[in-house]
Parts: sequence; structure tokens; C-alpha cells
Amino acid sequence: MSELQAGQGAALNISDAKSTRYRDVIIALIAFVVLALLPMLTSSKFLLDFVIRCSAYGLFATSLNLLVGYTGLTSFGHGMFFGLGAYGYGLIMQKTGVPIPVAFVATLLITFVFATVIGAICVRLKEIYFAFVTLAFQMLIHSTILSWVSFTGGDQGLRGGIPRPPFLGIDLSNHLHLYIFSCALLVIGLLLMRQIAQSPFGYTLRMIRDNATRASFVGIDVYRAKLTIFVLAALFASVGGMIMALFVSGAYPEFAYWTISGEGIFINMLGGVTTFLGPMVGTVLLLILNDTVTRLTEYHGIVLGIVILFFAIGLRKGLMDFVFEWYAQRRDAARERG
Amino acid sequence: MTRTRKPGISRRTTLALMGGGVASLAAPWVASAQAKTIKIGMPTILSGRVAQLGTSSRNGVMIEVEKVNASGGLAGRQIEMVIRDSKGQPQEAARVARELVNTDGCELLIDAEASSGAFAVHEVARDLGVFCIHTNSETSSLTADPKQHIPNAFRTARQGVHDSIAGGNYAAAIAKAKGLKKWATCGPDYAYGRDTTGEYTTYLKRFAPDVEIISESWPKLFQPDYTEVVTKILQAKPQALYTCLWGGDLTSYIDQANIYALFSQMEVFAVNMADYTALTVVKNLPKGIHSGNRYIKTYPGTPENAAWGDAYKAKYGEYPTNWSWENATAIMLMAEAARKANSADGKKLAEAMKGLKIKSPFGADGTVTMRAEDNTLVGYAIGWGTTIPQEPYVPDVKPGDWKMIFELEAEWKKSKGFT
Amino acid sequence: MDLDALTGCLTTSACLVTQTTSGLIIGMLLFLVAVGLTLIFGVLKVVNFSHGAFYMFGAYFAMTTYQLSGSFALAMLAGAVGTAIIGLIFERGFMSRVYGRDVLMQLLVCYAFVLIFDDVVRMVWGPEFKSMGMPSAFQVMPLFIAGGVVPPYYLLLIGVALVAALVLGLGLARTRIGKVIRAAAHNPGMVSALGINTGLIYGGVFALGGGLAGLAGALAAPVRSLTPGMGFSVLIESFIVTVIGGMGSILGALVGALLIGLIRSFGSLGFPLFTEGLMYLFMVIVLVSRPSGLFGKEVA
Repeated sequence: MSELQAGQGAALNISDAKSTRYRDVIIALIAFVVLALLPMLTSSKFLLDFVIRCSAYGLFATSLNLLVGYTGLTSFGHGMFFGLGAYGYGLIMQKTGVPIPVAFVATLLITFVFATVIGAICVRLKEIYFAFVTLAFQMLIHSTILSWVSFTGGDQGLRGGIPRPPFLGIDLSNHLHLYIFSCALLVIGLLLMRQIAQSPFGYTLRMIRDNATRASFVGIDVYRAKLTIFVLAALFASVGGMIMALFVSGAYPEFAYWTISGEGIFINMLGGVTTFLGPMVGTVLLLILNDTVTRLTEYHGIVLGIVILFFAIGLRKGLMDFVFEWYAQRRDAARERG
Repeated sequence: MTRTRKPGISRRTTLALMGGGVASLAAPWVASAQAKTIKIGMPTILSGRVAQLGTSSRNGVMIEVEKVNASGGLAGRQIEMVIRDSKGQPQEAARVARELVNTDGCELLIDAEASSGAFAVHEVARDLGVFCIHTNSETSSLTADPKQHIPNAFRTARQGVHDSIAGGNYAAAIAKAKGLKKWATCGPDYAYGRDTTGEYTTYLKRFAPDVEIISESWPKLFQPDYTEVVTKILQAKPQALYTCLWGGDLTSYIDQANIYALFSQMEVFAVNMADYTALTVVKNLPKGIHSGNRYIKTYPGTPENAAWGDAYKAKYGEYPTNWSWENATAIMLMAEAARKANSADGKKLAEAMKGLKIKSPFGADGTVTMRAEDNTLVGYAIGWGTTIPQEPYVPDVKPGDWKMIFELEAEWKKSKGFT
Repeated sequence: MDLDALTGCLTTSACLVTQTTSGLIIGMLLFLVAVGLTLIFGVLKVVNFSHGAFYMFGAYFAMTTYQLSGSFALAMLAGAVGTAIIGLIFERGFMSRVYGRDVLMQLLVCYAFVLIFDDVVRMVWGPEFKSMGMPSAFQVMPLFIAGGVVPPYYLLLIGVALVAALVLGLGLARTRIGKVIRAAAHNPGMVSALGINTGLIYGGVFALGGGLAGLAGALAAPVRSLTPGMGFSVLIESFIVTVIGGMGSILGALVGALLIGLIRSFGSLGFPLFTEGLMYLFMVIVLVSRPSGLFGKEVA
């Protein structure tokens, strides 16, 4: 592909993007309204809890997909920002007593600083080495949380509950308010990430993923682009962590452990990385799977393991990838017939 | 096992499989079932490295639930336990606890989580106002810290500070008699290990002011290799070693210290040694390790305690653990509280529970008490003795003095700013 | 932090010798696990995330064999061979289907087996921790070598680790099979074009790597408690070792293991509460300055 063609492609995408942006906003609004109406249809607290957890994990997993699926950066340490969000928010609320929105913004600022420093070091490395170094940073942060007992509470986490003072008429200690608040964050977060993915910058990322050398030839600052998406993804993961901290009213070292990153990767594989909503579908799948299997048997490891093998070796792709390809094939077949 | 479920559960599970949305359909069904049985939810750890905590907690609960059910149930309602694995993750513990109450219709909770999981379930109990007994967390602040206090949560576990006062007193007597002045400590690097070691040395020094701590080691929880810890202690050449390692970590440590001949070079005080989990597993148990009792059927040396241990072994094929008696005690207390309140309602149970004293095979004087002031169990058997490599393992246990424990605990609480 | 203790030790010869010795012991035990991991990566380009599970199987096989037969040698053999067979089945049946695929897919397959193996062990041997017990031949007083304390059992372990390092290093460099394996690592297409069954080589290497992990587990069984999930912390440490030394390099694994051993033994003096953190810090520094590890081949 010549430079000219690449430029045309981008121009085309921008005009495309305008029409799809309105569509995305409308879809997001509809999704939010549907979610917000849900409590009127059912009194099940379980369902609301489920959606709150989906918001936390969904934001985290989708942001990881910005790195894995869109940029080709396989991070094994994305969970550190989930943990950072939970701890940053929890600590600010417990120690300072500022209003919730202030703590929210402050946590994002903290995440921004951490992600910039860590990202600046990590994105210089490629492929599996990037994965290793992100994992090492994750474990370093986890070790620090465990060791710095006076500040973080060590292995016991942030105890005694995180205060939830009402703001702007929103009282997050009310289950329904917390639910609506989480849904709003989820929808806004997904919408923003969708805009990033569909923007010219998003197409730059895809180009880096497919061929970083070519990208740098056409004048793209690959390092800068990678660092930017690393920081952006960290911010959304941090929001996921904050929702989790609100849900359990605490923060625990497990939130910053590598297993959270592993779950994020698993969710992405389960749902598929080629579609934007793949990770969201993966989140719902994993949580349903987890909740039902742990109910039925204490040997959930075997069940989960077999399901993973089914996706990795049997299906060979995520569910959304599979559905998408199947749909595309059928459409093509129909065209040929028609 | 959770096999005590009623037939309807499978229908509900299938529904849940179809998506969370239909869970609400099952809600009315739950409500109608509540009239007869009472469901008690129990989040615990049934997988991973400490799965034994979950299985022996479950055994301890079930052996008592069967007795309660056979004698008419909790205020006339049959108990149905719903026991679920949290995998040792606090967010799962919180999730499972909420689900047990909100979806499964559990009216009471037994929180058999360890460490941070217990604090996560504590927040759920605070949020939902549900009656809850913590059975495995020994972290003192869970009940001692007034900031943590909620009227609907109780604890039937040992506490680090109680063990440390009794242990410090016992060790000081030996230190004085044998002239043990130079001590080393080795505690797992997490809250329980740090707090317990700190409290133990405080009381040891208080009773034997000559004692000096010359070396401290903090291996990680579940660390496989203790070589550097063992050699570091040997280097320091202490006269005595205190350790609060437990379970598999303690047996690993003993096996590895054994080949360095550590036990012949110093007196060893291992608070968690005298539990069958460790006693029966270690193949070359050194003679003469000083240990606090965890659960041992010969202490208290009453027929009730021996009978309980034997019945447990007959039923499950192994001896009870420390977790077993702690969880059994939760059910015993609930049963008595329900009798007193003539109700199985959580609020009424909580009121009846405060200050409740019951007969118990695990009591130092045949009774244990749920202390009203901070909702925690006191009066349980606490003592120290030395090990031998075969049954009864700890032939001669010197009982701890609860009067002294109360005095010093009150002082400790003041020093922490808890009162 | 306790820097006084650290400087105090560094200036006392007895302490220096003892802590160095224990660092070497820790390192050699780590090497035994890590070498299989690095071998598999070197040839198959797969990060065998289930390596810890093989270590666990080795320990359990050894314990059961020892209980049944009373023979320590047989127990070690059972640990190594039994695990090698599982490794072979695992590679031929599952891993071979995801070669050349996304590294995440390979990791997921391994992860699936970590979950499955842990549960299998829990079903077969129960959730409670077990102990194999030290054979009476090794229940003797430790030796004092140049002021350092060394239990005879650890001498055996060090010996086995050194033999493994030598046999693997020389075997890969000098023998015909070694050359084929190296060739297969470098250019599998060419090797199979020459009429050599690459599947057999891959299966063999995986069996060897898994068998080494099993042997390490068997050798660790007398001094470590056995639980489902016991392989996990070992996996993390040997993973750090191979990353530091360079994935695929046997010499690198040896050096990396010894470095980590020394960090642990001296770190526990100076930073008793942050020893683990030191290892990760070291890993970050190595990765940033030399992404392919101390002895790894430069990334193209």
C-alpha cells in the first residue's frame, strides 16, 4: 500500500466515523435506558450486582483489548491499573473525605502518572518481552501493596469500608444509585473507547499492530502512539477498579495481582478480540460461567479448564469472532446465490 | 458437602444458567420455602492451597447442624447449609456472600473466610444488615476495633492477642528457668504473622524483661523454600525461636530446619504446632517443641472433648482441625441463641447472642462465652505444652489463665486506642 | 529495612560464607525447575505456564511411590518418568495444536491445564497438605564446608542439578540429537524437509522439560509440603529466573537462578519485608536494559 492509499483510507474513515459516531451515541443511549429501566422490571438484587460487576470487569477487559486487539500489545500486567484505581480511590476516600467526584478525578490523575512512567519504560519492548515487563511491574506493585502495611493495610486490604457521602443527589450507599452510577460509567466508558478505536488514531494503532515498521515509514511516531494508548487503556482499567472498590466497599491486594490480568486476557479470548464488543460479551460469559459453576461444584477448575480448551483448541477463536465470521460467510453465500 | 440441598435447587440453577434475568422469577419460590427451612450461607475457601480450611470448616459445621436438625432445628426450622467456594479471593467472598443472601435466600451467614476475605464479608454484613458469624479470622482488629464494630456480626475464632498473652506468659516462665535470653522470631509476612509475632514478643518481654530479640525473619506466606530463613536464624545463634508459621508452611519449615539440625540448637516455640493438621503430617516430628493448642482432643481433658474428636474422626476419617471447632462453635451458639430468643430471626438471634454463655467441649472450664462488649468468643481452651512424635502428641498442656488474659487484653485495647 | 544487618553480614566472614552457601543452595534448587522451562521455550517457543503443575505431579508421584515401596531412588524415578509421560501426552494431544498461534492461545491452553491438574490432584490426593518425610539415610548432621553449613541432602540436590546442567549443555552442543534439536528450534521447516519427524522432537523435548520439573518436584518432596497448587509459587520464581537469564538459554537459567538465590539470601537480611519485591525489581531492570535476558539471543 502506498502512502497515498493510506491517506485516502484515513480520509474515508473520518467521513465514515461521523455517521457511525451518531449511531454509536444512539446505541449507547438506548443501552443506558434499557439498563436503567431494568430495576423496574425486576427486584432481583442479584441481577443488579451482576451488572455492576460486569461494568467493572467489562471496562477493564475492553480497555485491555485496546492494547491486545487493536495495537498488538500483549500486556500481562494490565491488572495493576485495576488495582491502582481501587486503591487510589479507596485511600483518597478513607484518608481525606473529599467528595466522590474529586476522588474520582484524583485517582485518574494518579493512574495517569503511574501509567505514563511505567508505559514509557514498557512500550519500548516488543512482543513477549513487553508481556514480561508489564507482568514484572504488576508484581512489583503487588509486592509494594503487601509490604507497605501502614499505608495500604498490607494483605488485609483497606478495611472498615470506604465512605460513600452523597453528592449531587446521588447516594452510592443506596444499591439502586450505585447500580445506575456503574451503568452510566460503563456506557460512557465504552462509548469513549469506541470513539478512540474508530478515530484516525485508532486506525494508526491497527497499522502499528499489522506492521510497525511500515507505520514508522509513513511518519507515525510509533513509540508515542503506543504510549498514548497504554495510558488511555490504563485510565479505563482504573475506572473499572473504582467500580469494584465501590461494589465491595474495600480494596484488596488481589485486585493488583496478576490473576486479574489473566482474567482480563481470558475474557478477551472468550469473547473475541476482533470486534469492539467482544470483550464485553466475554465478560458476561465469564461471570455467568464463574457464578454458575462455583454454585454447582467445588471442582470448578476442571470445568473452567475444559471450557477454555473448547475455545482455544475447538473453536480456535472468541465467541464474537466466531459469530461474526459465520455471519459474514452466510452473507457472502447469500450474495453469491442472489 | 452442600448435598443437603432440597430438590428444587436444580431447577433454579438451570434458570440461572439461562441468564441472570430469570433469577427474579425464582424469588417468590424462595420466599415460600423460607417458612419451613432456614438457609445459612457460608462462603469459604474450598480450592487452592488452603482448601483444607474450607473442608474442615464445613465438616465442623455439618456435624453440629445434623445434631440441631435432629433435635428439631433452629427454633423449629430445619437448617439448610448453602456452602460456596470463594477461591480465597476477597471480591469473590463479597460477591458470594451477597448472592447467598440476595438470591439464595440465606437469612444468616457463617463467614468461614480467612484474612482479607473476612473483612470483605464483614462489609457485606454491614451493608445488608444480615446476621453473620466470622469463624476463621483470628485478626484481632476485626472485633476489637470499634470502627469495625457492627451489632449483627460476631466472631467464634481464636484471637492472636489471647494466644500471645497466654503464650508469652508460658514462654517467660521457661525462659527464666532455663536462662533463655536471646530470642529469634520467624513469622509469615502477612497481617496475622506480623501482629501475632509482635504481640507475643511484647508479652514475653513483659513477663521476662531480660529477653532480647536478636533476629527477625519474615518468609512469604506459602513460600516453598525456607533455606535463607533457616540459615539466618542459625547465624544469629539464639537460645530460643518463636514461630507462628502454620499448616503446610510450618511442616515445610520443620522438614527444612530438621536437616540443618536447628531443633537441637535452640528451644522452639511454635504456637500452631499442636493441631492435627501439622502433627499427623510431619514425618520426623522433633521432640520437645513448645506449642499452643489449636485443636487437640486431649485438651481440655474432658470426656466431652474426647467424644467430640472421636465422633468427628469416625464421621470424616480424620481428626478435627482448629477450624473445625471454631465453626462447630458457631452452630452451637446459634442453636442456643435461637432457643433463648425462640426465633431464628437474625435480629433476635443477634440480641440473644450478646453475652451468651454455653456449655462447650472446647471451653477452658467447659463453657465458652460470646463477650457482649465486642462480640467475640472468650473462655475457649487455651494452653501450651511440649510435643512428642506420637499420640497424644502433647501429653501435658499447661492451661492459660483467662483472668490474666482479660486484664492484659483490656490494657492492649487501650494502647491501640480501641477503648 | 535493616541495612545494618546486611553490612554487618557482608563484613563478617562466617555470615558471608553461610549466606552465600544458602544462596547457592536456593539457586540450584530453582535451576532444576527453571531449566525445563527454558529448554521448552528454547526449542518450542512456548512459555510453558503449566510447568509448576508438572513440578507438583513429580512431588505427588514421588510421595506415593515412596510410601508404597519405601525406596527413595524409585520415588525419584517415578516422579521424573511419570511426569515426562504426562508431558508427552500434553504436548502431542494439546500443545501441538496451538503452535504458531497467538502466544495468548498457548498461555490459555497451559492455564486450562493448571486449573485441571490442580483439581485432579485435589480429587486423587485430597485437599489437605501432605509430607513425604526425609529418608533416614539423610537424617544426619549437616556438614560444615568452609564455614558454611550444608545438609547432605542439599549436596545431593546440587549434584543432580549440576549433572542436569552439564548433560543438557553438552548434549545440546555435542551430540547428534542435540544438533537436530537445535536445528528444529532454529528452522523446523528445514528439519522436517530433511525427513526428520519434528513432532517426535517436540514431544521428546516437552517430555524432557516436564520430566525435569517432575524430578525437581520429587527431590523437593522430602523438604516441602505437598498441596494442590503448590507448583504456583515455584512457577513464578523459575519464570523470573528464565526471564533474567534469557529464555532458551541453559547457562542463563543457571546464572539467573544463582543470582535470585543470592538476592534471596542477602535480601532477607537487608530487606526482610521486601525480598520478593527485590526480585521483581531486578527482573524489571534486566528486561529494560537487556530485553532478551542476560544470556538470551538478541531480539531481531
